[in-house]
Amino acid sequence: MTQETDAEFRSRLREFFTRHHPGRRPRDKRERLAWQRAWNAKLFDAGLAGPSWPVEYGGMDLSFERQVIYQEEFARARVPGPPATGVGIAGPTIVTYGTEEQKKRWLPAMLRADKVWAQAFSEPGAGSDLQALRTTARRDGEEYVVNGQKVWNSRADEADILFTLVRTGTQESRQHGISYLVIDAHAPGVEVRPLRDLTGGSDFCEIFFDDVRVPVADRIGEENGGWQLVRTSLGHERAAGAMNQAAMYRRVLDELIRLATERGATADPLVCDRLVEFDVRVRVMRYNAMRIIDSITTAGEPGPASSISRILISRFEQDLHEFAVDLLGATGLLTRESTEAVQSGRWLYGFLRTRASTIGAGTLEIQRNTVAEQVLGLPYDPAMPAR
Amino acid sequence: MSASFTEDQEDLRGLVRRFCAERSPSGEVRRVMESPESWDPKLWSQLTELGLPGIAIPEEYGGAGAGAVELMIVVEELGRALLISPYLSSVAFAGQALSSSGDEAAKQRWLPGIADGSVVATLAVAEETGSWELDDAATTASRSGDGWTLNGTKSFVTDGDTADLLLVVARADDELGLFAVERAVSGLRTEKLSMVDLTRDMARVRLDDAPATKVEQADLATTRDLVLTALAAEQIGGAGRCLEMAVEYAKVREQFGRPIGSFQAIKHKCADLLVEVESGRSASYYASGVAGQPGVEAAVAAALAKAYCADVYTHAAKENIQIHGGIGFTWEHDAHLYLKRAKSDEVLFGSPAQHRSRLAALTGIREAR
Repeated sequence: MTQETDAEFRSRLREFFTRHHPGRRPRDKRERLAWQRAWNAKLFDAGLAGPSWPVEYGGMDLSFERQVIYQEEFARARVPGPPATGVGIAGPTIVTYGTEEQKKRWLPAMLRADKVWAQAFSEPGAGSDLQALRTTARRDGEEYVVNGQKVWNSRADEADILFTLVRTGTQESRQHGISYLVIDAHAPGVEVRPLRDLTGGSDFCEIFFDDVRVPVADRIGEENGGWQLVRTSLGHERAAGAMNQAAMYRRVLDELIRLATERGATADPLVCDRLVEFDVRVRVMRYNAMRIIDSITTAGEPGPASSISRILISRFEQDLHEFAVDLLGATGLLTRESTEAVQSGRWLYGFLRTRASTIGAGTLEIQRNTVAEQVLGLPYDPAMPAR
Repeated sequence: MSASFTEDQEDLRGLVRRFCAERSPSGEVRRVMESPESWDPKLWSQLTELGLPGIAIPEEYGGAGAGAVELMIVVEELGRALLISPYLSSVAFAGQALSSSGDEAAKQRWLPGIADGSVVATLAVAEETGSWELDDAATTASRSGDGWTLNGTKSFVTDGDTADLLLVVARADDELGLFAVERAVSGLRTEKLSMVDLTRDMARVRLDDAPATKVEQADLATTRDLVLTALAAEQIGGAGRCLEMAVEYAKVREQFGRPIGSFQAIKHKCADLLVEVESGRSASYYASGVAGQPGVEAAVAAALAKAYCADVYTHAAKENIQIHGGIGFTWEHDAHLYLKRAKSDEVLFGSPAQHRSRLAALTGIREAR
């Protein structure tokens, strides 16, 4: 059998994505989940799921170059990604730290979207300071008994399984007393409540654990050794999609430029100047992505440009949406419910929604601390707890 | 194009960085800066011994035949060290203006000298209005016998007071062209301007019936883009150094019994600068990767890189002073030298606002009227 070339691989993907495209994204939440699950099952059954995952657990184990191709075609086809947050976050952790039994039990079902996984890390008293979390897991024979509350959990109401951080040590032990526990979302004592956010919708949830019994076999890694597992990623899988993010924002910006042009707004030099500013930023995003991808393929390391992508992107999407709302004036304030809203109110919704961009997965302030300390080597704050 | 560097390119960067550290440390920069001479001929001949002026000049004209990426690396490193030399004027401006022209005779006549450093050249675009817009050039060129004579006043010409060869943008019968004026001719008077950037001289150039040779088939638009790409490299070199200086200081300077770099107010400033500097680097590397290619992409990349890196450099230079506090405001600290170079580079060959305005047209955001 001859080896498939990159071009053949690309056209095979393109052909599959076109032929089996699941159609438009349903507006209804329940329908949307079903649509997403069906598509991911189809991908899995065709051997086209999990580009960076090992083959034995249903993945494709592609080289980095092939992952880039995969991500490009995936974005180009505009097909739905995996549901909730399991594949992106828990998957790599299990691949790296799970036992053989856990990998077999969890990974294929997660990738096929037979089971939807969602993250449950943050708590009302542990956001940026995640190491202060208080949800406890008391050992009782071959089970843990879990009690506590989680919050800001993306799409946890769609989940069958929750991956959590719980306290198995003393409160004072901070990161040395945290374990990584996988909890059945349908188990007795688990209650997931959607949380209404400032957009009026509910992407986030809060979760209550009341004497929830969890088998010890569902712990990943050592007891009290959960903290080191938190930021696991597989190779450079995230960098493989860096170009797509830039391409996606290119598309969004082009839509805004078209809108501004249609409304005659580009005759105003101030509007022009702002649009150029966004154009510059979106191009810089692409240049950064090219540099990261190139650096990985030649040096095996993503290099310094990778540490800044998120800061750049989160600010960009906030600024862009706010500018769009301003551009539309009073019309920009019509909500999605209004039939007169421009483009179904997407810009207003985006303006509101992207408030979360500089909060979720580490606030902008925490990210700047991290970049300053880990990339620039600035000293830790001595007033902060020891790391 | 490739966004990462070959081993040879990395070696080149290391070579230039070492050269700057050994031959042009801060004390040397200050000595030359405060001396009456515009640049140090000894340092220039040492640069030349390394073959750096000829790096991007084709081999048939005595150069090394490398590309815009290698040139960008050298310029970035020289900018990082604020090394005082006519490199940018002679190699990046005039050298590339000649290389990109179709004038075989002019190339054979001057490029070998530029490549071996024996000829120092520069490019004169702006006039007393301080505009680098090509269309604003009012200096005239008129035929006289076999050659041309130039009349007008150019200003803000980098190293214009010392250059052996000036490539002057002038108007002949309503058409812009490039004209070569040699130092020795009558009718050429240059005077050094008192400018804020002490590490690069600028001059006013008066042309009174100055004899000139026309550079045939000069490509002024491409020249401008190559110049902008080189300036972006110099800017990001300097900006990167400002961030390094700020971070180094924040690690060791203690107040309230702890390094000031442990305070979030300082960390956030430094992190924001890193975001800007790395983004500017990506823009500069991309621009040099597509430099000289036909089509709008190279023009967009050049204008973008120059405008973006200008803002980054000025911001980094200001924050560097702020993070240093009082010491950063002193003459003896180098922080002000970078601020002055940053402001100077910001206006040189057009301000960020002007390039963004050009981008509005180039990208089609503002439709042609």
